[in-house]
Amino acid sequence: MRKLLNIAAVPLLFLGGCMQDNIIDDILMVEAEGYDYIGNDQVIGTITTPNYAQGGVSGSGGGGGPATASMMTSASAITYDGRSLVEKLTPEGQKAIRAGKLRVQLFNEALLRHGLKKLIHFRNQDPDVGRDLFLVMVDGNSKDLLQSTYQTAIPVSRYIYDLIFQNQQQNYPRSNLSTVLYNYYGYNTDPFMPIIKKEQDHIVLTGIALLKRDQYVGRLNGQQEAFLLKTLIENFNYGFYDYTFKPNQHVVLENVNSSRHYDVKNGNSAEPNIYATVTLKGYVRQGNPLLATQDYYSEIQTGIQSEIKRALEKMVVGFQKMDVDPIGIGDIARSYTRHFDERSWPERYPRAHFHAKVKVMLVETGISNVR
Amino acid sequence: MFWKKKNDEAMKEDQGASPKTIEDLLLQLKKSPDFSHYQHLSDTFQCWISFFSSLVNVESIHRDILPFLYKGNIRSLSDIQEQIPIEKIERTNDLKLIQSKLMEGCLIIQEKESSPKSLIVPTVLREGRQVQQPEIETSIIGPKEAFVESLDTNISLLRKRIPIPQFTVEQSRVGKVSNTRVCLTYIKGIANEENVNTVRQRLQDLEVDHLFDASTLSLNISDNNGSPFPQFIDTERPDRTAAALFEGKIALLIDGSPNSLILPTNVVEYFLASDDYYTSWYFATAYRLLRLFAVAFSVFSSAIYVAILTYHYQLIPIDLLGSLITSRSVVTFSPMAEAIVLELMIELLREAGARLPTKVGQTIGIVGGIVIGTASVQAGFTSNVLLILVAMSALAAFTTPNYRMASAIRLLRFPIIVAAQFLGLLGVALCFAFFVSHLLKLTSLGRPFIEPIYPLRISDLRDSFIRFPFTMQSERPMFLRPNDTLRYNKERVKQKAGKREPDIDE
Repeated sequence: MRKLLNIAAVPLLFLGGCMQDNIIDDILMVEAEGYDYIGNDQVIGTITTPNYAQGGVSGSGGGGGPATASMMTSASAITYDGRSLVEKLTPEGQKAIRAGKLRVQLFNEALLRHGLKKLIHFRNQDPDVGRDLFLVMVDGNSKDLLQSTYQTAIPVSRYIYDLIFQNQQQNYPRSNLSTVLYNYYGYNTDPFMPIIKKEQDHIVLTGIALLKRDQYVGRLNGQQEAFLLKTLIENFNYGFYDYTFKPNQHVVLENVNSSRHYDVKNGNSAEPNIYATVTLKGYVRQGNPLLATQDYYSEIQTGIQSEIKRALEKMVVGFQKMDVDPIGIGDIARSYTRHFDERSWPERYPRAHFHAKVKVMLVETGISNVR
Repeated sequence: MFWKKKNDEAMKEDQGASPKTIEDLLLQLKKSPDFSHYQHLSDTFQCWISFFSSLVNVESIHRDILPFLYKGNIRSLSDIQEQIPIEKIERTNDLKLIQSKLMEGCLIIQEKESSPKSLIVPTVLREGRQVQQPEIETSIIGPKEAFVESLDTNISLLRKRIPIPQFTVEQSRVGKVSNTRVCLTYIKGIANEENVNTVRQRLQDLEVDHLFDASTLSLNISDNNGSPFPQFIDTERPDRTAAALFEGKIALLIDGSPNSLILPTNVVEYFLASDDYYTSWYFATAYRLLRLFAVAFSVFSSAIYVAILTYHYQLIPIDLLGSLITSRSVVTFSPMAEAIVLELMIELLREAGARLPTKVGQTIGIVGGIVIGTASVQAGFTSNVLLILVAMSALAAFTTPNYRMASAIRLLRFPIIVAAQFLGLLGVALCFAFFVSHLLKLTSLGRPFIEPIYPLRISDLRDSFIRFPFTMQSERPMFLRPNDTLRYNKERVKQKAGKREPDIDE
C-alpha cells in the first residue's frame, strides 16, 4: 500500500508541472471592460489593461535589461453579445489576457436597453472574477471613455473604480457585481448601477441607472437623488444632504448617519401600505449666516424632514410608475407579511401606498452665533 | 540465519581481543607513553602502581596518595585502604573492573604484578572546561551557567538545583567500544515509572560503537528516526533541565557532551525559551506568540509568494500589483526559480557562517546580506519583494530557541515551495496537511508529540502558546502522566492568599 502511494505520487509530481500558470508579469490583466451595443446582437467590446511603470527597478543601475512591464493598454473588437472579451481579443494580446483582476465593467445605454441577461449569466458563472467589481452605465460611448486620456496618470480602470468606490462610501448606494446579482436573481427586486459620463478630461458620476430585471428603464440624476435612494436601501454613515431652505440659501447636513425601519400593513391586500421610518443624524457644517436666527433648529429640522419625506414618496411613486423596484419593496413586504402572496405582487406593487416618515436630528456641533 | 551467525562470530572475536589476564592488560597498556606503571619500594612494603598520567591530575597523586605509601605502618593492601585519606577505595580481583577503572582515571595498586588482586583508588581527574555562560541558548534574565563536557560537573550542576534524595541518577554504559557513561536522571515520585523504564530499556538495547553527544543519542533512541522533527530536546542549560525534571521529565547526561537530553517532549516546548519563565506572563506570552508567528511566516512566506505570483494573481491587492509587477518584470526566472535561488543563497550564507571561524564569519554576514542581496536584485536574479520576504523568513526561523527544530523548519520550506509551484495554494495546503498528519502520528517516548493540540489537553495548554501566571499552573503536564500530578496545592494557595481587603490608604 505504501509503495503504491509512493508510486502514485511520482506522476502527480511531474504532471503538476503541466498546469497552466499565470505568472503576474507574463499576463495582461484586464481591469476594465466596455460594451457598446451596435444593434443586431452585436457589441463593440473594449478592454484596458494597466501599463506599469517603464524602465527597470529603481536603483538597478541599468541591470536587468529592458523592463517588460510596459504593455499594450487597450484593445477593442466587434463581437456578439454575452461573449467573453478575453478570448475574443486574444489575437490582439501581446501576452495572455486574463480577466481575474477585473475592476469595472461599462455598458452604454443601448446595451442596457437591449438587456444584460447574457452578460450577467456569464459573469455569474466565471469563477475567475471577483464579486467586488463595479457594473457601470456610461452616458455616451464606453469605448470613447476607456480610450481617452484624462488629467490623472493612473489607469482609467482604477480612476473609475476609485471614483465610484469613494462615492459609494458617501451618497451613492452600494452597487457592485454582488448586489446586482443579488437583485437580479432575488425575488421582486431590481438591480441598479451608477452612471458615469466623460466630460472633457474628467469622468463624472451623474446618477443611478434603474433596471427592470436586466433592462434599462430609467434613471435618477445627481447625488441628492442617490442619497434619497440610499436612505431606503441601507444604513450608512457618511452621506451629506444639501437643503435649500430659502432660495439661494443652503444648509448642508454632513456625516449623515442614517438608519431605516420598515413596516408593512395589509401586505396581502390589493393596496398594501408600506411605512418607512428614516432616521437621519448629521452635523450642520455649511450654514448661511442667516442660520443665526434663534429658531434655526426647528425651522431647519422640520424643513428637511418634510422635504425628504416628500422627495422619498415622490421617488417611490416614480418607481411604481416605471414598475421597477430597486429598493426591494416586494422583498420587504414579503418579510413583513405572513403567508405572503408572491404571485400577485407584481400587479399589486404599482398600487401599493408608500408612506415615509423622516426624523432628522441635528447634532449641534459647528453651529455658532455669527455676529 | 547467515547474518546472525556472522554476528555471533563477530562477538566472539570481540571477546578474544580483550586481554585475559592482568599481565596481558599491563603489557598492552605499557605501549602507550602516557601510561605509568612502576614498582613502589619502601622499607616495609612494595607494590605496583599504575595509572594514566593523561587522565589523572598527577599533582594530586603526588600530594595525596604517594606520600602515604612511604609510611612505616603500611605493610599490606588493606593497610593502604585504611590509611590513605581517600574514600571509596575498592578491593577487587575482577580484571574487567580494573580495566574500566583504569580507563576512567583511577589508580591501581597491586601487590604483585601478575596478580589481579588490587586496590582501586579514585583520583582527582584532570580538569576539563570550566562552567561557562551558555552560548547557544543565551538568555537575558536567569541563570548563566551551562553544562560542560564533564559528566560529574554536570550532575553537580543539577544536584545543586535539586537537593533532595529522590533525585535519582542511574549510570549505564553505552557504546561497545567507547563505553561512554550515560546517566539517567529523574526525580523519583514525580517521574512516571513507565517513561523511566522505556528510556532504560532503549539505552540497554542501544547498539552503537561510540557515543559523543546528546544529539547523537537522541537520534539513536528517538521514536521515529525518519522524521525531520527532533523528538527530544537537547539543552545546554542546567536550569532548563532541572525545570524539566521538576515537571516529571527525564534527563539524560552523557559523558563528554555539554548538552543534556530532555525526554519526552511535545512540539510546543521547542518554541519556549527559558526567558519565558523569568518574565511576567504578558511578555512571555507576547514573545511566544511572536515566535509562533515567526515559524508560520518562515515556513510559508516564500511558498505563498510563489503560489500567488504563479497562479493566483487575483489575490493580489490592486495597489500591490504595480510594485510586484515592476520588480518582477526585470527578473529572468519564474517565481519558483527565484525563490529557490534566494533561499539557497541564504542557506549558503548560514552554512558558511557556521563553518567559518568567528572573526571571518562576521564579515560573511555583511558581505552576504548587503552586497549579494542588493547585487542579485540589480542583476535581475530576484525581485526586491522576494528579497525582503526571504530575509525576513530566514530571520524568523532563527527565533526558534531550539537549534534542531529551527533547522527542521528551515528545511521544511523547500518541499512547500516546490508544492506551491506544482499546485499553487492547493499545493501549499496539501503539503501542510502532509506535515500535520506526520506530526499527528509522531510520538516522543510513546507520548503524542503535538499533545496539547491533539489530543486536546486544556490543562497543558496553560503553558504552551500562552504562558499563564504560575498561580494558575498548579498541575504538572498531563502528557507526562507524572506520579505526582500536582505542583502545589491550589486550595492552600487560595486560603493563604485570603480575600483582599484594601486598606484605607491603598
